[in-house]
Amino acid sequence: MTGGSALELDRIRRSCGSVVAVDDVTLDVGKREFVTLLGPSGSGKTSTLRLIGGFEELESGTIRINGERVDQLPPYQRDTATIFQSGALFPHKTVAQNVSYGLRMRGTPKTEIAERVRRALDIVRLSGFESRLPAQLSGGQKQRVALARSLVVRPAILLFDEPLSALDLALRLQLRAEIKRLHEELAFTAIYVTHDQSEAMAMSTRVAVMNQGRIEQIDTPQHIFHQPASEFVYTFIGESCCMPVRITAGATLDSTGQPIALELNRRPPDGDWRLYVRPARLKLADEALNSSNRLKAKVHFVEFLGDIHRYHLKAGALELFSDRTAPVGPSVGDMTEVGWRNEDMQVFQ
Amino acid sequence: MPRARFAPWLLLAPALVIVLVFFGIPTLYMARMSFNLHIDQRLYVPGFTVEHYLNLFSNPLFTNAIWTTVQLSLLASFFTVLLGYSFALLVWLQPTRWRLAFIGLALCPLLISEISIIFGWWMFFPRNGLLSYALVSSGLITNKISLMYTEFAAFVGLVYLTLPYSFFILLSIFDGIDKHLLEASADLAAPPLTTFREVLLPLTRTGILVAFAQSFIWVMGTYATPSALGPDTLWTMGYLIQEQMLGKHNWPMAAAFSMVLVIGVACVMILTRSLMSKRTAFHA
Repeated sequence: MTGGSALELDRIRRSCGSVVAVDDVTLDVGKREFVTLLGPSGSGKTSTLRLIGGFEELESGTIRINGERVDQLPPYQRDTATIFQSGALFPHKTVAQNVSYGLRMRGTPKTEIAERVRRALDIVRLSGFESRLPAQLSGGQKQRVALARSLVVRPAILLFDEPLSALDLALRLQLRAEIKRLHEELAFTAIYVTHDQSEAMAMSTRVAVMNQGRIEQIDTPQHIFHQPASEFVYTFIGESCCMPVRITAGATLDSTGQPIALELNRRPPDGDWRLYVRPARLKLADEALNSSNRLKAKVHFVEFLGDIHRYHLKAGALELFSDRTAPVGPSVGDMTEVGWRNEDMQVFQ
Repeated sequence: MPRARFAPWLLLAPALVIVLVFFGIPTLYMARMSFNLHIDQRLYVPGFTVEHYLNLFSNPLFTNAIWTTVQLSLLASFFTVLLGYSFALLVWLQPTRWRLAFIGLALCPLLISEISIIFGWWMFFPRNGLLSYALVSSGLITNKISLMYTEFAAFVGLVYLTLPYSFFILLSIFDGIDKHLLEASADLAAPPLTTFREVLLPLTRTGILVAFAQSFIWVMGTYATPSALGPDTLWTMGYLIQEQMLGKHNWPMAAAFSMVLVIGVACVMILTRSLMSKRTAFHA
């Protein structure tokens, strides 16, 4: 990687009792990269972040920041700064005192502190809030102060611990865009932990999908989405319909053994398979006519979701749903054709 | 809206009634008693005199007792808060599974009456007691010692008495603090002691003051422990009030002394209140 790695994790491991929280994770993050650790709760993403920050002790493996080993150092000697989910602003200190805290601890001269705090608050658009207490701020403002407090010390790596998950949707989207803008302007190196795949997709240069303490796949958001390395990655990264089928010499059966009217363009060999298609790529009725793969199904019920209608369908024991933008479609109870292209289907055994 | 104006008073009323009936009226009654006459060994004779108060502040027996009590209370409260704070901090930092055990341990002394605890100390402090035995057998000293009936024993007894309350007050304050603040501070390059000074101490200041005030007030008024464990010469206010009332049958004098105690305690409360942060609602 050009300019060397900002962060190198080499087979780091941490267990809590009998559960291995972080299982030999290896990760190399380049300077100015924005890497997201994405996974469900209990996947080890937060533990990994806390190991980098020094809040938890490593069992084995090494951590290097800018080429230097830090795994034996306490948090206050590591060049990282964390943005916590709760913000963790000091409630008895004003916004300016919060932001200047890290600079003060690093012995920055007073005149420089004032200037840098002013600039940091300007960057997160909170100029004029210097003398407020955290209790006088909204949730979004608190997270901006937390961001400014970490940015101002210019750490080697910024660590984000689900900083947006406590906020409501509109605010989350707004701050997400803001963090991306800041990353492009300031070019900091960041590790971002989240369980929200759209957040991961939107902000990251690379996404590491974690499951059961391991990284299942690490790649660009586009590759993760289009070429998932495993069934777990595919299902976690976005909504999907799962069709468990048994393919035998003559017929295609559902999980109860009933034959279903499924035409596959490229039939996998005989055996039990799970076919996946994203609901947005599942075509319905007239739109399905030219699809290479087709299934006859009955409309079970329809959900109105604003821009789209979500059609819930049943074919034998198979249940799937398709998102359709056209206002008119088949009615509840109708038999209809569902179709999809080869490249929109993932097959796992 | 007149109804809205009365609502807070209405809500306060039950508590206010209890306080007035059980604390306000007896205190007023005691205040009146302190001005009664004391004639011919009768408990009291209705009348009006300030003689008891004058006596209180001119007789070195009484002024010394006030001074002794204040000194002892300050010292005991200081150590109570110090120990209570350390213990509460320790428990707060523990993982939750240890927490219950520690809390149970701290509750134990509250299950035993003050008198039983005093009996316990009588097993602990004398020449043939547990402490002496432990010190000799550990080789720290060669001859058995007795710490019974010393000011030290009284001091230890008083600290023990108020420690659980200090502990619980401080633990409840610690529990209101987001532990991530410690991590955030360390993360911003503050070593542990700096984090303590910059974050923990300011956030627990109110708790320290409340714990100190409750301990001080308690020790000021308590009577059994210092008289049972301390030397005969340890004359605290509590002891003298008891002596005036039961020994000398001088109720007005005992009442006057009690009034001084009540006013002293009130002063301490006002002082600690004013030292507390005006902005206590950090966790809004």
